Amino acid sequence: MSQRVGIIGIGQSAFKSRRDDASYPDLVREAVSQALTDAGLELEQIEAVVYSLSPDAMVGIGNAERLGVDAVGARNKRFLRINTGGSTGISSVAAAFYHVAAGACDVVLTAGADKVGECGDSQSVLNKIWDPTYERALPLGTINMLAMSAVRYMHKYTMDETDMARVVVKNRSHAARNPKAHLRKQTTIDEVMGSRYISWPVKLFDCCPQSSGGCAMVLASESYIKEHGLNAVWITGVGHCSESYYLGDRMGDNVEADHADAFALAHSFKRSFAMAGIDKPDKQVHVAELYAPFSNTEFHAIEAAGLAKLGESPARLRAGEFTIGGKTPVNPSGGVLCTNAIAVTAMVRVAEAALQVWGRAGDHQVKGAKIGIASGNGGDHQFFGTMVVEA
Amino acid sequence: MTNTKADSVGTKRVTCGVIACKSITPIDATKRSLEETLYDLTQAVLADGDITIDDIDGIVVAANDQLDGRAISVMAASGSVGGVNRDILSTPSSGEHAFVLGALRIASGYFRTQLVVAWSPTEAENIPEALRLAADPYFHRRLPLDEWSAHALQAARLEFVAPDAAEAARHVVAKNRKHGRQAFPDLPVASSDGAPFRWPLTRDMIALPSGGAVALVLASDAFIAERKIANPAWIRGMGWAAEPGFLGDRDLASAPGLAAATEQAYREAGITNARKSISLAEVTDATPHQELLAWEYLGLCERSKWRREAAAGTFAAGGALPINLSGGALTFNPVFASGLFRIAEAANQVRGQSGNRQAKDVDLAVAHAASGPAMQYNTVVVLGRSRGAPQ
Amino acid sequence: MELLTRTEKWNITYQHALGEVASWFFTQLRDNAKIYGRRCAKSGRVLVPPRAFSDQTLEPTKEWVEVGPGGKIEAFTIVYEPFQNLPDPPYAFGYVTLDGADTAIGGFFKGVDLSDPAKAAQQLRIGRRVATRFAEKRTGDVLDFWFEPVDR
Repeated sequence: MSQRVGIIGIGQSAFKSRRDDASYPDLVREAVSQALTDAGLELEQIEAVVYSLSPDAMVGIGNAERLGVDAVGARNKRFLRINTGGSTGISSVAAAFYHVAAGACDVVLTAGADKVGECGDSQSVLNKIWDPTYERALPLGTINMLAMSAVRYMHKYTMDETDMARVVVKNRSHAARNPKAHLRKQTTIDEVMGSRYISWPVKLFDCCPQSSGGCAMVLASESYIKEHGLNAVWITGVGHCSESYYLGDRMGDNVEADHADAFALAHSFKRSFAMAGIDKPDKQVHVAELYAPFSNTEFHAIEAAGLAKLGESPARLRAGEFTIGGKTPVNPSGGVLCTNAIAVTAMVRVAEAALQVWGRAGDHQVKGAKIGIASGNGGDHQFFGTMVVEA
Repeated sequence: MTNTKADSVGTKRVTCGVIACKSITPIDATKRSLEETLYDLTQAVLADGDITIDDIDGIVVAANDQLDGRAISVMAASGSVGGVNRDILSTPSSGEHAFVLGALRIASGYFRTQLVVAWSPTEAENIPEALRLAADPYFHRRLPLDEWSAHALQAARLEFVAPDAAEAARHVVAKNRKHGRQAFPDLPVASSDGAPFRWPLTRDMIALPSGGAVALVLASDAFIAERKIANPAWIRGMGWAAEPGFLGDRDLASAPGLAAATEQAYREAGITNARKSISLAEVTDATPHQELLAWEYLGLCERSKWRREAAAGTFAAGGALPINLSGGALTFNPVFASGLFRIAEAANQVRGQSGNRQAKDVDLAVAHAASGPAMQYNTVVVLGRSRGAPQ
Repeated sequence: MELLTRTEKWNITYQHALGEVASWFFTQLRDNAKIYGRRCAKSGRVLVPPRAFSDQTLEPTKEWVEVGPGGKIEAFTIVYEPFQNLPDPPYAFGYVTLDGADTAIGGFFKGVDLSDPAKAAQQLRIGRRVATRFAEKRTGDVLDFWFEPVDR
């Protein structure tokens, strides 16, 4: 029971807008095959599967995980699915972690895929996440909900649209070095500022893309890893926390969980940091893959992770702290701003943090990274999962 | 609540037990909204366990987006079940998977308690249509392939392969309906109309959907000892498995997924002769044919003996091994929540909390929860009055 | 090789129970053009929109409290992009804490020229006072009201 849980294999698609060459289960299988090859295992050796899939409506199939059973080789095996909205991917890795930590299995696969580009209109699907009693009648979607977060952050602290644009410039320059990322074209502050408004102050270039592709990871117990002489990195911290579903409850003067910030994300990080024995994240963390689908949201994620005090991150970004080569690179993969296949995006955060501390991140490697963190956000900025991974 | 390993004693495996169980049968959708109903249920289950929400370390919920009419069913509901500032996950694959993940989280040593909730409203005007959206759009969506049709195909196949099944099925219906009149005297009497429904199923072989919700609280052995909880239902064994998504890939007259789940659960529980060890069972009977498959694969009755044992009343109230004293899904059918209901009913039998359907001397009970088309997912939980031998 | 696609639409109608609390809220809105919140028994917070229980304290709410019609803007955005099944842009909406309430309620903002985003954002700045306006024909829906900035 005191043994650790390691990551022994990672598979990730080269994400694109559309994958007309592959059905949804095909995309899952693609990522699974990569992860198994990476781990040096066959499907038969997987004892349980945690399937990562957010709203069914995005894929257009009710309980779509049922069609994924074969794609993940789960015939007559332990299998269950996780959905916590955008944080599904990291919650799935956490669920897989608990399978191993419980002593129920030695080797667990977690996998999923998304074809957001095929959905037709992700924002109108995402409008239906709000309850029919009060908020469904409003034109709420994830973009405008987080645009409102930007408005409150601007009001509380010092941030303007050029600060937001700077996040995009940084992430695109990182994605240019990451062959798996979707949007890899570098950009400038002027170009971002010149892109059209979607929902003020969020502009087109401030938004994540709609990506298609899959991701998979294989986790194993420490005893299995030692017994088979496998190469691994370790999950040393896991935590979740969530906020009130009501957006309006996160507003007003002196409210603890202000919509400008990411209070429950900070709480979630506290839990994983406590587990991992990290008490000074701004000094101890070498690299961070933080879920931020819109440029402004990277600021409150950085602050929730304890890498900057509240309101300080725009200035620290200007100083170059969060770029590869800086103090604590954030989203060296390009992050969610450059790739968003919703069902697995938060899993990709863990995968990328793992690749970093493993020294396998290729051209977007952060030199000497040994302790990395990952986060996922879901619902109406409501569910937050976090993880610490170490070499 | 901390995230460090809690209460593990050396390398002894953490066992866990069910310490509270409550259900709403049926949901009254006139006075309370779904979120309010779930709030009532959560308050009731906490009272049943003589604990408060502050005793809850983590929550796992399950619901179906298409039945709920919400694109991420855990969102608005999370407040009701105490999700604010807490660790809450969701397993929309089935209600029983929420139980499985809850148990794994406690067994991992990182949680002392878990609240597990599943629900299934009847707000969709056409439930079969809502469930038909699970048919894949690639090959099967143009067919009337909802869950009833899938169950009917299974029944047809079974009757073809095992001609005694039809007569045995009629006995199962009579048995469960009789149990149901005792257990739920206020529910409207199910149809006794032998008119065709989906051949070979007739109207009296199924129960139309009802709204239902069920909640359980799981706790670690240390928590149970500390609070001196007198009558937990200890988890002695747990297994779960999935079968492939395409019906055509499966042998619908057999249940290899159930066989795999049973093998895991019985191995953990040390059961080699189910008829001898088990006092009582709650099995999923969306159709009576499913109950027959459960008889067989749980090792309670071979196929060749179905007709004889069904007629002899072996599994009826007062018989050698009562099955579905609750009346099963043939009496009360809360669709998505049906599987978790079976676990709750079995747990309450072991706890001595089954009221008007309590069996005497229930030492070891087995719960079989099945979900999806023709029992695609099967979960088996062995629950006992005592903790059993240390692992 | 020829790659095919299949078009599918989801079309399910739901009858969602609103429960007593929301039902009373909407009938007051529809019949009397008034907005009410519910007070949490434990914390004293007035929740708007009203709910039967507080998700923070898990205590039931106890009394009805009339709120507004004045309020202040807590958050806004101006949408310029068209989305399927959502209104034609441009439109502004966001959240307002009505006088007497402790939480904010969502609604559209009208009466603001949206053609210049920067100017519009100034008009809708956080903290700006608004008045609630009610539709002449109300159906018992959050679209029965909207907010317009007022000068102090």
